[in-house]
Amino acid sequence: MADTINQTARKGFLVDTSRCIGCRSCQVACKQWNKLDADKTSNKGTFENPRDLTPALYNRIKFIEKETSGEISWLFFNERCMHCGDAGCMKVCPSPGALYRTKEGIVAYNKEKCISCKYCVSACPFNIPRYGSDDKVSKCHLCQSRVEGGIAPACAKACPTEALKFGKRSDLIAKATAAKKTLYGVDSLNGLGVVYALEGPPEQYGLPTNPSIPLSIFLWKDVIKPLGILGFWGSIGAMLLHYVTIGPKKIDSDHDVREDSNE
Amino acid sequence: MSDYIERFRTSERILHWVVTCSFFTLLLTGLGLYSRLFNGFFGLFGGGQGAILTHKISGIIFFFSSLYMFFNHKKDVSSFDDSDWQWIKKYGGYLTKYGVHFDIGKYNPGQKLFAVFIAAATVALGLTGIFIWFPGSFPRWIVQMSLLLHSTMFVGSIMFVVVHVYLATIGNPGTIEAMLYGDVRTLWAKKHHPKWYKDVTEENQ
Repeated sequence: MADTINQTARKGFLVDTSRCIGCRSCQVACKQWNKLDADKTSNKGTFENPRDLTPALYNRIKFIEKETSGEISWLFFNERCMHCGDAGCMKVCPSPGALYRTKEGIVAYNKEKCISCKYCVSACPFNIPRYGSDDKVSKCHLCQSRVEGGIAPACAKACPTEALKFGKRSDLIAKATAAKKTLYGVDSLNGLGVVYALEGPPEQYGLPTNPSIPLSIFLWKDVIKPLGILGFWGSIGAMLLHYVTIGPKKIDSDHDVREDSNE
Repeated sequence: MSDYIERFRTSERILHWVVTCSFFTLLLTGLGLYSRLFNGFFGLFGGGQGAILTHKISGIIFFFSSLYMFFNHKKDVSSFDDSDWQWIKKYGGYLTKYGVHFDIGKYNPGQKLFAVFIAAATVALGLTGIFIWFPGSFPRWIVQMSLLLHSTMFVGSIMFVVVHVYLATIGNPGTIEAMLYGDVRTLWAKKHHPKWYKDVTEENQ
């Protein structure tokens, strides 16, 4: 089941962090549309809330505090599933149809087909999938049903500043490039479904500079898996070949040679 | 002189088949997790979740029974002498058409290597299995490494097992009886494991 993506038909987000005011309308709209329960949270001395994605929180605004010449300023970052063009979660998922790609390029999922192996949790380059009390995968599905119906996802609809813009991915990138924005995620992992115009280096936002599928996951799925299948049939073939060419060690053979070390 | 000699006691044989059954249950339940190519094997266990549950239960059985079996045979598989060297230099006589036999004790170096490898694999598979079982409780890199190591050790084990099954059945006629009802023919013992034969017959006299 090769993961193929139609780059021209692909839809996605362009997140312009410079326009984000940290209002978290996207968080609330997502909860409302997807009927997600509230999470218990705690005050940790920051406006960032909640502090991490949960099974009931598909996107959130990360508040990054930055100090420049004694003044504190914020960087806002919309954290969510990136809908990678080459998705680690889909690569490792052993249950066909549990994680799948829609024609718009969304990495969607079907909880009924999820078998709770949690491989996607380990394979995601951005540590996004969460498992709730139902022991099934949950993450942003880019409001799959809304997108299929031709309307924008709840978060983008609710964003008052157009920091979150949804549309045809190639158009969004073309516009942002024309506006001389520095973009993150245009080409990495066969293109992210969420492209960012960042105000600083990606590390400042806790993003990997060159996101990629974890090396151990690549070795597991692209090296060990095919070699293992080859090795299994190879060893069976070798045994059969031995049997028909050299043959078994018969115990009543007259042509035996003794190799005694003590002689 | 009896035509037969006991090679494995009843308890040893039962333990061996417990290990075997749990191993093949692990294989059948794990195949669908190994690759989507083998998704059909999930059907044997009522779907993926059933396969994972069965994999966990048989994993626990395999872990303890396999290690117990290794410790039972530890004395016989951790020794090494000159005859073992001879065996290795001539590839155990398996690459010549004429039967070459060596002055081997209870196990030959190939069997010893198999025992040690399976014991090491049991520890590695068990440990990585725990990390894969509870990915949320451990750092991500540990679980990622575990997924790689778990599949690598599985591949090594299944290849060793193919060789083990071949050599213990059609590759060496007269061997399988040792694990079925415990007795091997005296002729078999004298040819394959003369030192062991000498040891046990002297003990019995």
